[in-house]
Amino acid sequence: MNDSSELKSNLKHLLVENLMLQITPEQIGDDQPLFGPDGLGLDSVDALQLVVALEKHHGLKLADAEVARKTLHTVNTIAAAITAPKE
Amino acid sequence: MNLRPILITGANGGLGIAMARSFLAESPDNFVWLGVHQRRNQVEKLAAENPGRCQLVVLDVADPASWQAAMVEILAAHARLEVLVNNAGAHADALLAQMKPASWSRVLSVNLDGVFHGCQAVMPAMISQHRGRIINIASLSAVLAPPGQTNYAAAKAGVVALTQSLAKEVARIGLTVNAICPGYIDTEATAAMDDATRLKAQSQIPMRRFGRPEEVAAAVLFLAGAQASYITGSVLKIDGGIF
Repeated sequence: MNDSSELKSNLKHLLVENLMLQITPEQIGDDQPLFGPDGLGLDSVDALQLVVALEKHHGLKLADAEVARKTLHTVNTIAAAITAPKE
Repeated sequence: MNLRPILITGANGGLGIAMARSFLAESPDNFVWLGVHQRRNQVEKLAAENPGRCQLVVLDVADPASWQAAMVEILAAHARLEVLVNNAGAHADALLAQMKPASWSRVLSVNLDGVFHGCQAVMPAMISQHRGRIINIASLSAVLAPPGQTNYAAAKAGVVALTQSLAKEVARIGLTVNAICPGYIDTEATAAMDDATRLKAQSQIPMRRFGRPEEVAAAVLFLAGAQASYITGSVLKIDGGIF
């Protein structure tokens, strides 16, 4: 498993454990939308927990709601934000 | 040692001191952070009597920056916060027709904004812990709305609504949020009553006496404890039967 795959796997475990999802990490697709009825079905309370968990475990700070909306779209977008060069 | 950090705002007042003493008596694992702003004579005495078990933390509840600084201090020491008791409050009673806008703003700021800032300040830690208890001290004025207290009654009614709304937001994360509405309690606030006013108030209380601060503290301990694990969004009146 390369670094990128390992990070995405870790993120899926983080999602399942922190949000107490009733699915396995392997059932979450890299490009599957996390929010909304067509995706994993997460809601605003899940987002709140996710923001806290990502900052705690990955040091990812999401500046505002718009940045959070774009970043928390899929596992891929979260992984990209974590590995993006820091300004 | 399974240390349990607890923060009480307005800790220097009669209710705050009673809560702190009750938590300290409840378990040697309880560590009480005593939130103080200006007055601190009572908490300094309590801290001196209980070395290593409680600590003063400067906290202007109406100032979000003060909350952030307090949480940095608490988390640096204990890495978590298990219980927040939003107890700080302020009165500035007057008939609305004569109430200064500054009195309205000050009472709303301390009693309602202070609870908002406090709840918001502890959210990251409690969400991360997946555990936490918030107990907001409202007032019987929130439901009885006596004349002369438009500011205080509105603020405390706001605290009740905030409590119930926040309880729904964070229930599945493992946090509980409850409110207590004390009636007439023997504290420095009611000690200032003249005899006639006190007797009149007592006559309106079915139990015919004011409550003791320890009787409010007992409810706070219950809501903070394991036995209240399924209670959230509740509003508990402690008033000797008034309604």
